[in-house]
Amino acid sequence: MSIRIKALTKSPWVFHASAASCNNCDIEILDCFTPRFDVERFGVQLIGSVRHADAILFTGVVNKKDIPLVKKLYEQAAKPCLVIAVGVCACSQHMFRFSYNVVEPLDKILPVTAYIPGCPPKPEAIIAGLVKALGTLKKK
Amino acid sequence: MIVFKTLFLYLVFPGFLFAASVGMLAGWVERKLAARIQYRVGPPWYQNFLDIIKLSGKEIVVPGGKAFTFLAAPFFGLAASSLVAAMLGEAIRTREVSFSFDLIIAVYLLIIPAVSLIIGAFSSQNPLASVGGSREMKMVLAYELPFILSIATVIIKTGYLRIADVLNYQLSNGSIAASPSGCIAFIVALLCIQAKLGFVPFDAAEAEQEIMCGTLIEYSGLPLAIFRLSHFVLLFALPLFLIILFLSGTLSIFSIIIKYLLILVAIILIKNTNPRLRIDQALRFFWKLLTPIAVLGAVLAFLGK
Amino acid sequence: MNSSERIKEKFGSKIENWQEHSKNRIYFTLDKAYVREAADFLFKDLGLRLATATASDLPAGFEMIYHYSDDKTGVIYSLRAFIKGKESPEIDSISTVFKAAEWIEREIWELFGINFKNHPDLRHLLLVDDWPENEYPMRKNYKKPHEKKEQDKC
Repeated sequence: MSIRIKALTKSPWVFHASAASCNNCDIEILDCFTPRFDVERFGVQLIGSVRHADAILFTGVVNKKDIPLVKKLYEQAAKPCLVIAVGVCACSQHMFRFSYNVVEPLDKILPVTAYIPGCPPKPEAIIAGLVKALGTLKKK
Repeated sequence: MIVFKTLFLYLVFPGFLFAASVGMLAGWVERKLAARIQYRVGPPWYQNFLDIIKLSGKEIVVPGGKAFTFLAAPFFGLAASSLVAAMLGEAIRTREVSFSFDLIIAVYLLIIPAVSLIIGAFSSQNPLASVGGSREMKMVLAYELPFILSIATVIIKTGYLRIADVLNYQLSNGSIAASPSGCIAFIVALLCIQAKLGFVPFDAAEAEQEIMCGTLIEYSGLPLAIFRLSHFVLLFALPLFLIILFLSGTLSIFSIIIKYLLILVAIILIKNTNPRLRIDQALRFFWKLLTPIAVLGAVLAFLGK
Repeated sequence: MNSSERIKEKFGSKIENWQEHSKNRIYFTLDKAYVREAADFLFKDLGLRLATATASDLPAGFEMIYHYSDDKTGVIYSLRAFIKGKESPEIDSISTVFKAAEWIEREIWELFGINFKNHPDLRHLLLVDDWPENEYPMRKNYKKPHEKKEQDKC
């Protein structure tokens, strides 16, 4: 495993993008940085600009208007960048799958690496999902 | 031969490599102390090194045109800050390399990292970056004035413009910070250092939540790593500058390390206990509160106290 | 005299139904032609604030309800206006009185299909701009164009 990938797994910077979510998953992502769970000891930092990101955490359902914006956001991230779908709305559209404004789930638009189900997922689940997503990098 | 020696001083010790390593460890102290204050466990001591290695391996994305300015700006900042680190480190180690007026040259070189940040921000072709760049310009205008006034206090007291002479003066007459005017000037300079390093409460230029990392929003990969390295080198050089100017009563290795750690802890405590100031509040703070205090210090120094 | 009495005095017999739903909620019905005049009166003379406007799809037609809030006493006056018939429903726009009503009426138009006469800028607010014509999602007879048979079997 190259030193590049090894350093990436030891210091993943996450960017958090909410595509029409109810913000519950967003609050749980912020919970991961509180003293009870503290992911900063693994090197994870929540950064403000998508160009600095190593993993984009998408929450919420992607509706028709959002599709070009979500694609543009992924293109702006510096590769290698993982896409992680947090919350069951991002994984499979949940109860909104019959709604008039919702067309495609997230993994038909972007290459999703990890799915973290839950409404909202517990911070333990988010940490486990992030670790699994980083594990796929190690295997390549 | 002299070329090799100079390159060694500039690049290895006490220049770029040594300053960057000490700066990254100091950065770790800052993150760990902040974490402990917030009742968390912080990152391990090698975290900053891993961050830089990881950033060097990422793709470099250049927005729009103007690629040369965009890519070259961070290197100028790193070059200037390493030069200051080499100059100050060598001056405090052996006082013979100091040349005339190098105090003023050090002050000039310390402005260049901020200017490179501004140039990088404006060549990003991003409105948020230009907001960050304009805020950084205002911050430079704000903190340079009391900073130079506090250095003027030192110059008035010692009567010398050479770092070696300032050090010799303090070794024979005691630290400048022990006198009233020196104490005032030291506190003013400490707050100006806080702004120079871009720490809360004066980090309006790179506010994470408001303008999405302001000046550095379009940077990725190696240029971003160079900017952060320049920040770490400044974290080594600026407290050292304060020690040279105000606290060189005794100059053994042990006392230098203790003083460096004390200044670092003071900066970190101010950082963690204060909210971020708006840019107009910061300007008011530096111009209306600190500048008169610095002038008072200079006047006291002139009167001989 | 308080706002309820002034409304009753101004509109008199045009009020078809006055219902005090609870201490702070009063519903009254007017014919749809008087909607703009009522908005003018309630805002300028009585000082009420337009809180929001809602629409419902009923079997006989569409019903618009405008909710006006009296911030001094805490009472909400809800003005009902009924539009008969499902073919091309129309009603006057109140955006000349309230600038905020522009966006409210744009949303009601794109989801229900109610045309607002004299609206300055009637276009899509929440849906995409190339949403198919004459597809109004909030109507009861709306069917999604693409079939999702497999997902329905859960």
